[in-house]
Amino acid sequence: MTRVNASPLAIRVTALVTTLLLGALIVAGPTLAQDGAEAEGTNDLIRAALVGLGYYLSNSPWLFGNGGFFGLYRPLVAGFFVGVIFGDPVKGAEIGASINLLYIGFISAGGSIPADPSVAGWVGTALAMASNLDAATAITLGVAIGLLGTIIFFTRMSVDAVFAHWADARAEEGDISGVARANWLWPQIFLFVISFFPAAIAVYAGSNAVGDGIQWLSNNAPWVLRGFQIAGGLLPAIGIALNMRFIFRGSAIPFYFVGYVFAMLIGGRFFPGVTAPAIGTIVVTTAIVGAAAAWIFVSVSGSRSSEREA
Amino acid sequence: METMTPETRPAKKLERGDVQRAFWLWTFFSHANYNYERLQGTAFAQAMTPIIRKLYDSPDEIKAALKRHLVFFNTEPNVGGVIHGAVIAMEEQRANGADIDDDAINSVKAGLMGPLAGVGDSISQGTITPILLSIGIGIAAAGQPLGAILYLVLEVGIMLALAYFMWMQGYDRGREGVTTMLRSGLLDRVLTGAGVLGNMVMGALTFQFVTIYLTLSWNIDVGGGQTKLFDVNQDLLGAIMPGILPLAFTLFTWWLLARRRVSPLWLLVAYVIFAMLAAYPFFGPAGDFNYCQSLLNPFFQPGAGCPPPPAS
Repeated sequence: MTRVNASPLAIRVTALVTTLLLGALIVAGPTLAQDGAEAEGTNDLIRAALVGLGYYLSNSPWLFGNGGFFGLYRPLVAGFFVGVIFGDPVKGAEIGASINLLYIGFISAGGSIPADPSVAGWVGTALAMASNLDAATAITLGVAIGLLGTIIFFTRMSVDAVFAHWADARAEEGDISGVARANWLWPQIFLFVISFFPAAIAVYAGSNAVGDGIQWLSNNAPWVLRGFQIAGGLLPAIGIALNMRFIFRGSAIPFYFVGYVFAMLIGGRFFPGVTAPAIGTIVVTTAIVGAAAAWIFVSVSGSRSSEREA
Repeated sequence: METMTPETRPAKKLERGDVQRAFWLWTFFSHANYNYERLQGTAFAQAMTPIIRKLYDSPDEIKAALKRHLVFFNTEPNVGGVIHGAVIAMEEQRANGADIDDDAINSVKAGLMGPLAGVGDSISQGTITPILLSIGIGIAAAGQPLGAILYLVLEVGIMLALAYFMWMQGYDRGREGVTTMLRSGLLDRVLTGAGVLGNMVMGALTFQFVTIYLTLSWNIDVGGGQTKLFDVNQDLLGAIMPGILPLAFTLFTWWLLARRRVSPLWLLVAYVIFAMLAAYPFFGPAGDFNYCQSLLNPFFQPGAGCPPPPAS
């Protein structure tokens, strides 16, 4: 997409504020985190650093490009690796999968993102695991963190313009390698600084804070935690609906209902007499039947170009 | 044009390896310096470096080629690679004396990047990714971390294959071929099929993950001093269609987002607030909290009264 709508002043102000915030975090982070237990300290630090590294990598080009944005960037994958870091991949993948539901319809186009799934996946799963949250509750936590993450994206998109001018200067001298370096090297050093440190510090300093907060809530206002769980059932509708904006149109509309009813029939949640299959097979089975339906539909009807863009 | 004779200027031929090197540079670094001013501009230039090295010798030509490809550029990186392929083919012809000026190359880039961003985002981010994610999430949420690995391998594999295919198509067919391919309707058929599959998977996902349980129930007098528990979730909604509430709620959300143009951010905030209200124990004291004192319930309890909360 070619639209870019962000005024230069807003960019500068945001970049300044973010830089100050991140600077403050880097300075204050270790102090904030000091009330953790001493013996656990080193382990926590290593885990936090690994999560920070994962978050950086998910936004970096190093994994065949696609392995970043289409791989580690997704909370499902991030959650799995955070689970590995914290010694429980099953729980991590479960939490990551739940958080990812919200971003199932995530599309980054024209240099804008509605939220940052990668920080929700890496930092959100790490905080949820450190605080022993269940997957449904973790969704709400992921939402909040994902919104904060857009600050980092915004900073990067603003500051990286500087390197484009470095590239111009190299090009003026006919320096081919210099132009290449302005694209792949310098921006990555900057990105590492603004993504690794905030994420690692947030995990290191935030684990106790989130844990304490949850503890306080369960003692004093348990209905808030129930609210998180209820939200965990409602928010996936947003992720699904965001994707439906692109595909729920024209002659494909009935297949949404077919998919729902098919899943309901094989899922059997509403029919006490029916033995439900393992829950993981519901979507997979529907996808197999859906692929067959798609094949037949395209063969019978041909293309429907007029319905693609509304 | 007059310098095209082999004697004065030997034909400059790109090897397959040069085109592939450019492909890998783009695939790795297309978003390495993503920024508001040029978006993927510098990445395009970096991808062209092996081509420029091979085709141009004089400093002036190199300088001009670098500057030519440092301008604003933005498209979907995998499907959009067809543009790069076509541009490489044009650069090769130009270096061999064909009458292709900067404007011709710029107009191909600027003219194709918008449409291919639209088509490409629909394919990669709009259909392939959500479908594979749904499958991975469905498996991982059931306690099988394999779902995450399965998604990662399939997604990256498919994206790389798609990207390589499009890139080479662009180079082999050139700019006319790309236009022909875009008009052929092949992409439309792929998108139509993906839309059918995507809708079915979204339906299954709605069933599996959107959960709303009303906890409205009360005793009704059935005569003769007998009372019967009437559960709205089961006895009213369930009688119409089991699972109608999550389905209706998701369609309502789609309507708000797609038809009313409500911002997803506002909706997120509104839903979290709604969930809090729905969890607040309006129907009973907050002190000894049990599961029938609020409007909604995170767990399925078909007409079973109000059991105490499960131990977490």
